[in-house]
Amino acid sequence: MALMRLVRARATASLFTGGFLLTRCWVLVAIAAVACGSPRSPASPVSSAVIDDFGDTIGVAQATRIVSLNPTSTEILYALGAGPKLVGRGQYDLWPDTAKRLPDLGPGIRPNVEALIAARPDLVLLYASSDNRPAARQLRGAGIRTAAFRVDSIAQFERLARLLGRLVGDSAGGALLADTVRRTLDSVRALTRQLSRPRVVLPTWEQPLIVIGGGSFLSELVTIAGGENVYDSLPSPSPTVTFEDVVRQDPDAVLLGPERGALIRLNPRWRALRAVRNGRVLIMDTSRVLRPAVRLGEGAVSLALLLHPELARR
Amino acid sequence: MTVSRWMGLGAAVLVAALAGIALGTMGLSVSESWVALAGRGDPTNIFVVRELRLPRVLLAALVGAGLGLSGAALQGVLRNPLAEPYLLGVSGGAAVGAVIAVSAGLAIALVPVAAFAGAVGAVALALFVAHATHGRGDPRVLIMAGVVVGAFANAAIMIMMANADAATVRGALWWMMGSVADATWTQIWSLAAYVLVGGVALAAFGRTLDALSLGEESAAGLGIEVDRAARIVYLTASLVAAATVAAAGLVGFVGLVVPHIARRLGARGHRVLLAASALTGAFLVILADVVARIAMPPAELPLGAVTAALGVPFFLITLRRLA
Repeated sequence: MALMRLVRARATASLFTGGFLLTRCWVLVAIAAVACGSPRSPASPVSSAVIDDFGDTIGVAQATRIVSLNPTSTEILYALGAGPKLVGRGQYDLWPDTAKRLPDLGPGIRPNVEALIAARPDLVLLYASSDNRPAARQLRGAGIRTAAFRVDSIAQFERLARLLGRLVGDSAGGALLADTVRRTLDSVRALTRQLSRPRVVLPTWEQPLIVIGGGSFLSELVTIAGGENVYDSLPSPSPTVTFEDVVRQDPDAVLLGPERGALIRLNPRWRALRAVRNGRVLIMDTSRVLRPAVRLGEGAVSLALLLHPELARR
Repeated sequence: MTVSRWMGLGAAVLVAALAGIALGTMGLSVSESWVALAGRGDPTNIFVVRELRLPRVLLAALVGAGLGLSGAALQGVLRNPLAEPYLLGVSGGAAVGAVIAVSAGLAIALVPVAAFAGAVGAVALALFVAHATHGRGDPRVLIMAGVVVGAFANAAIMIMMANADAATVRGALWWMMGSVADATWTQIWSLAAYVLVGGVALAAFGRTLDALSLGEESAAGLGIEVDRAARIVYLTASLVAAATVAAAGLVGFVGLVVPHIARRLGARGHRVLLAASALTGAFLVILADVVARIAMPPAELPLGAVTAALGVPFFLITLRRLA
């Protein structure tokens, strides 16, 4: 029974992934049409304006030439089938594969404003880091609609999905994307509710020792997947901690990416941890849990399977 | 300095400025840039040239001129060829101010204000220490006090950065590497006021600086109130440097290297040296900014690193010729 639900969760999760996004779009459209009971009207006028995370008001007129300098918004736009409207991306926006073919406009933090203007966009999407304020000011000065959003948590992802849906004239698609991810996460949560909750630590860097804190979506994802991040109470997304404190926390497992995994196995000091001595070093599929974006559901499923391998056996 | 040297220096600044207006990621031709500068043609081109490139060039010129002036004046008043505003605590104090502002999450517009306050605070502290230990503004004590205040500032920065989150570290680091990419007209006008007023004030002390270079006793013998004059020159030069730091972050090496290049060009006497240093500094920083933005498009190099990379060879050639 549990496995059936997991498989179902996986199916919903993978709805937004894989190579043939365009095909998936049609699936989306079909679902949306059923869900809404009537065909969507793409150009439906939306009156209320949007306030971005710099506190600026963004018009909601449809965008046709978009530069996305934020990997999450790039992913969302492709999932919404709005990939053809993109005219540029940030240097690290490499998913889906199609995105790699877009012009690389350089760093997403402190971007080269002249390169952005040269792409002649009618909408630029930035990450709302304070280093991006000067760029936002200059772009608005050039008469280019510019919106900056923080995407650090699952809730912020959902908000952005709905919002981008509106900005590309596909509110239903945006809402559907947000709801689908939410439903997948809910089913993973329901699935792991009755299980024991292993306490885990998620190191991301060794010198200094940086771990995932409560401010990161990854901490939320671990909770959903039936675990508990020992540093969930720290508000920062990536706090620096002492090794001694990690030992004191005595986690049941160490959760990390493949390249860090090798480091920890080679460094004898980690053997001070009971989890490491017991071989509980769990390697995450980092491509799925890299950022709070379209593949959140998939990430939750893969984390749940990692923390609770018995789910696959049942 | 001969007239032809002056004209050559002026022409170099002009050519660098034109390159700064014509070159960038958006591949505009020279004629397109010229048309856009005149405010005609494609509105996007006009914006890029008049609101992005022109402010950068002007701010770079003012930063270079300010640091050049400040370095020349400080080397004169402290009678030390290694003297420069950054060595005397201006950069350290400004960095402490900026890092406090960045980590406190203050509005980005307040960072320059905090940097300026930090720089002035550090200079005041160095002056205070020098006077407290010696009773008067001995240049050697002043230099030591500045270096020590700078070291203290470094320690404070490291303590603040050690546990700061990634965004704060990135913001602070960016600021410490210097940049004119975010140039605004407000910054340009206020820095222009500092450089102009400061430059005139320093030039007024040109003769005093000349007399000081003969030694304190000789200067006093010429009827100069050495202490008072030194204090005014020191404060003015520091204020001008602090204003450049507030506008563009830390642009290293300019204050040290530019006066030496200007002397090499034949600038004798402090009035001439100040003017030649201002021009040389403007040239160096405009050129560095052009290199910073066209070397690795679409990314940009840190301006402070480029000025050092360009300035060091100039400096070494100067030293070689002196030897």
